[in-house]
This record gives sequence, structure tokens and C-alpha cells, in this order.
Amino acid sequence: MTGPRPFDRILIANRGEIAVRVIRACREMGIESVAVYSDADARALHTTLADMAIRIGPPQAIDSYLSIDAIISAARRTGAQAVHPGYGFLSENADFASACKTAGLTFIGPPPEAIEGMGSKIAARRIAVEAGVPVVPGETPTDQSDDAIADAARRIGFPVLLKPSEGGGGIGMKTARSDRELVETIAQARREALAAFGDGTLYVERLIEKPRHIEFQILADHDGHVVHLFERECSIQRRHQKVIEESPSPAVTPSLRQRMGEAAVAVARKAGYRNAGTVEFLVEGHGDSARFYFLEMNTRLQVEHPVTEQVTGVDLVRAQIGVAGGRDLPWTQEDLSQRGHAIELRIYAEDPARQDLPQAGTLLLYREPSMPGIRIDSGVTEGSEVAVHYDPLLVKLIASGDTRDTARARALAAIRCYPILGIRTNIPLLIELLEHPKFVSGNIDTGLLDADGDAIRARLSSSPSPEAVAVAAAARAAGPPATTRSSAAGAANIDPWSSLRGARV
Amino acid sequence: MSSSDDPTEVVPLGNGRYQVTRGTKRTLAFAVAGRDTWVFLDGRTYIVSDTPDGSPRRSRVDEQGALTAPMPATVLKINATTGQQVRRNDVVIVLEAMKMELPIRSPRDGVVKAIRCEAGELVQPGTTLLELEDDPSSSGYPEQRRGVRK
Repeated sequence: MTGPRPFDRILIANRGEIAVRVIRACREMGIESVAVYSDADARALHTTLADMAIRIGPPQAIDSYLSIDAIISAARRTGAQAVHPGYGFLSENADFASACKTAGLTFIGPPPEAIEGMGSKIAARRIAVEAGVPVVPGETPTDQSDDAIADAARRIGFPVLLKPSEGGGGIGMKTARSDRELVETIAQARREALAAFGDGTLYVERLIEKPRHIEFQILADHDGHVVHLFERECSIQRRHQKVIEESPSPAVTPSLRQRMGEAAVAVARKAGYRNAGTVEFLVEGHGDSARFYFLEMNTRLQVEHPVTEQVTGVDLVRAQIGVAGGRDLPWTQEDLSQRGHAIELRIYAEDPARQDLPQAGTLLLYREPSMPGIRIDSGVTEGSEVAVHYDPLLVKLIASGDTRDTARARALAAIRCYPILGIRTNIPLLIELLEHPKFVSGNIDTGLLDADGDAIRARLSSSPSPEAVAVAAAARAAGPPATTRSSAAGAANIDPWSSLRGARV
Repeated sequence: MSSSDDPTEVVPLGNGRYQVTRGTKRTLAFAVAGRDTWVFLDGRTYIVSDTPDGSPRRSRVDEQGALTAPMPATVLKINATTGQQVRRNDVVIVLEAMKMELPIRSPRDGVVKAIRCEAGELVQPGTTLLELEDDPSSSGYPEQRRGVRK
């Protein structure tokens, strides 16, 4: 992917850490970046970092980050040639991809037909079946009445998952374990589907118990080259939202990896896919004899793409921009390999000791750790306001090392000296998970937080220690720090080694 | 800080950083003082409220039986009406924040005395959503004032 830059100016139709990630890729490539922002994000990190920033509406996403008209108009006004959708929001909206095309803008992602095909779970499954890849039992009833959904659930067999047909990222997914739970669950799933995606159509699927969630990154260019960039293990989830991801998966043997990789490429080819995408599988069983089922294909960059970047050395955002600009992929499958291990921790603005309640407020103090093997993809900085309007993901911490143990030790060391004050975060839960015997041994499945969640959360009680009370007293005596609203530059002063001293006897 | 036999020494280093020394063990802490004081120490975050013993604040259900919003959120649905009998764990109100529904459950059996919010309203933490009172017609049980799950 060498040669002249593929675009002069790219608009990023997103916010938070992924907007920042794309802005940084643009800057490396000598491409101007245009940020869009709602009124809630006028001073957000992505708004302040981009070369240009343009307001697109009020805080509610439906009138700003989900407004196709507002974003196309912003691209026109700023003279952007291409649009990067990030993940979430409009990234898997075929109408948006089409609207970009109509407006003469390059959509940095797959063609609208591929989004359409994979966005509908029925069509996606048909494509997988045609590609010779096994699927999990499930359907989107044509009759979407409550009775018809309930009939479908009974036909498929309990426990069932109800998911927004238009959805992704685990948002709005509900489990019903029996007939008795169906009425309430259907109503709730429908409301959440409507609220999140503007469409209450539900997909009913058999819930496979104790599965692993393993996905394959693929990249495809306009000349029909398709490669996979190996797997990501995403089994640590809470309520179907991923919390920790890693690559390689401790459960995938070389022979299973090869079979799954070939299946992922076959699905992408059958779908006429281009650009970056992810093929998700559920895996049952162990070793070479493990079974895998096609779950869905995400037609966008994933939140957890950095673990793939860390082990393959490929910059996926640069690759996306290159492919969108008409470049061929510069590698064959044989050129790609996994080296070492990477673990990503998602830091959410939520309180793990109180049922993961989302948190909002000002980041009074925020200092990123900096040490070997640590990458921070952040959407916030000291002084940032965290609002209730959007996803609670604040930042991703990615630890790399030559082995899984090294990556895990680095993740723990870094997260233990990552002060974020002013709102509660899930960092205590992440620490507990990294130290959990099942995680340490790699023996994880998607039910870990459901099975051991109460025991883990019971240890999160945060009654202040005498030392903490002493520090609080000293802080009150010192008064509010003058640098409470200091910039990222001020925050870079931290010496990470001094905060590790206590841990390195 | 009371001067008991606690040998903890705290030295401000500036810019929100504090050196904590207890015996031979040294740790770097971070803190910001405000209405509550936020402290980061050994990978844990504490909110130390401005009370003499430093005990953290509790909310959610106060002495009068008022149910309050745990966080900034939008009221999605109100499932109860004034005068209605509710059972412990009934979902009386559904809030929505960050694309998730948060069911607010009744902490005990009782009667809805008043509803203090409206569907669609944006509520702040501590805002009273609903007031509960004991059910005058209930006979048997002693009142269940068990702790509310946070």
C-alpha cells in the first residue's frame, strides 16, 4: 500500500475512540481529517484533534451521528472525498453507503449490496450455507407478531436469543429460557431494537450454552483477493457485550485455525465482500475436533481490531483506506502470520459493583500508563465530559508480549496504574478477570461472567482503605489541583515506573 | 486524618499525585478533592465522602421510602400508578441510558404514594422517581427493610 495518498480529505462519521483512531491514521498518511460532532461533543477529543470539525446536530444520536442527511451535507460542505464510518452508528447501514455513493463520496467499507446481504441475518446465513459453512439454528419470522415470534422460539427450542435483526455488537440481545419468560422478553427486545436501530424486527436463535466466541478478520480488495488475518477470541462478555479480547485464541489449534480461516474467506467471497470485515463463529468443544458455527459477518471495522494489528503487524485502518482508494492488498495469505500475543481490555464508564450501571460525569483526573507493550486507544482525555447519550466505551488498553502470560502481566501492570477519577469505570472488574484462574489458564467461555460474576463482583466492594482515607484528607488539604482541566500534554508527565514500585519488590 | 497508631505518611507531589508511605512500602496515589474526594490507589478507585469517618454515601432508597435515580437517564416507562400495591422486585419504572434499559425495582412490598417523574423526562442522580409507603391493608409480615441491591 505505497504510492500517492488515495484521498486528500476524509470525513469520519463517528465519535469517541474510533474517530480518534481514524484521525490518527489519516494524519500518518498525509490525509486531512474532518470530524463531525453533536452538541454534546463540541469539546470532545475527536472534535479537537481533527483538521476540521463540523457540527451535525443535537446530542441525540438519531439527529446527529445517525442522521444520513446531516453527515452527507457535512461531507459536501467540507469537500471530503471519502467517509469512514467507524463502528456502530451508520457503519452497517446500506442506505448510508448508497447515499455516499450517490453524493460522489467513497464509503470506506464494503459495497452497499454486501452490507445489505450480511445485515439481514437470513441472507447472511444463506450465504454461509451456500459457502459450505455450518450455521446455528435460527430464523427471522416473516410474521413479526408476538405470537409468531413465540412460535418460532418454541420451534427452535429453548433457551433462545432474541436479537434486533438490524443490530450488532450485542446491543438489545435478550435471552428467554422458557415459554413463561417470552412475553416480557419479546416486548423488551422489541423496544431496545427500536430505540437502538429504529427497527423492531427480531431474529430468534438457539442459544448455544458454554460456547466460545471466536471471530476471523478478513480483508478483500477490488481484484478479488481475499485474505484472513487470523482469529480473535472474544469469549469474555457481560450481557453479550465483549469486555476482553485476545489473539491468538488459547483454544484454537493450528488445524482448527486453518479450517475456520478458510471458512471465513469462503463466506467473504460468496458475499462479494470488499474491504475489512469480520466473520463471527461460535465454537463448541475442544482441540482439533471442536465444532464451529457461522454466527454473522460484521461489515465494518471491529472495536477489537487492535489485537489483530498487534499480532499481524498490519494496520487495518490504513488497509481500509488503501482498499477504498482502489489499491490491491499487498500481501497473499502466505505472507501473513501471527507473532506473539495481544490482549485488549475495554474500559467502560460503568460501575461493576452496581450491576454495570452506566456512569456520566467529568473526568477530573485521567492519566494514561505508558510502558513496554502497551497501546492505548482512547476517546477521552482529562477534563472530558462523559455523557449519557452514547456507548459507555471510554478507552481500550491493548497489551502485547511474546507469550500470553507476558501480555497478561503487562495488561495487569498497566491497568493498575491507570487512574481515571470523576466517574466509576469497570477497571476493578477487569483486574479481577485478568487474575481469574479460568482466564489465567485460558479455559474461558462466554458464560464466565454469568457463572462467576456474583463471586467476582462481591470482591469489588470499595470501602476506602485507611491509606485511601489518608490520601483523601491530604487532597482536601491541598485543595483542587490547578491542573484539573489540563490537556493530554500535561497528563504525559506521569512516570509509570514510580507507580509500579510497590508491585516490584 | 486522625492520629491513631496509623503510620501512613502522604506527601503531595503536585498535579494530583501523592506519595503514600506505610512502613517500607511506597505507592503512588492520585486524588482530586471536590464535594466528594476521588482517590486512586493500588488499582482501586475510591470515593471518600466529606464525612468524618470517610464512609461512602449511599442513596437509592432513603428513609422515607423514596426511590431515586441512580444515574443520569431518561425515563422510558412508568409501570405503576399512585395508590397501586407493589411487591418487592416489581419493576416500577424503566430508565434508559446509553442504549440500555435499566429496570428500577421496588425494594419491598408497599403502596405507591406518589410518582415524581414523567415518561421522557431526563433525570439526574438522586432525583426522586417514586415514593413508597407501607401497605395499610397488609397484615402478616413485618416490614421487609432489607438492603437494596446496588
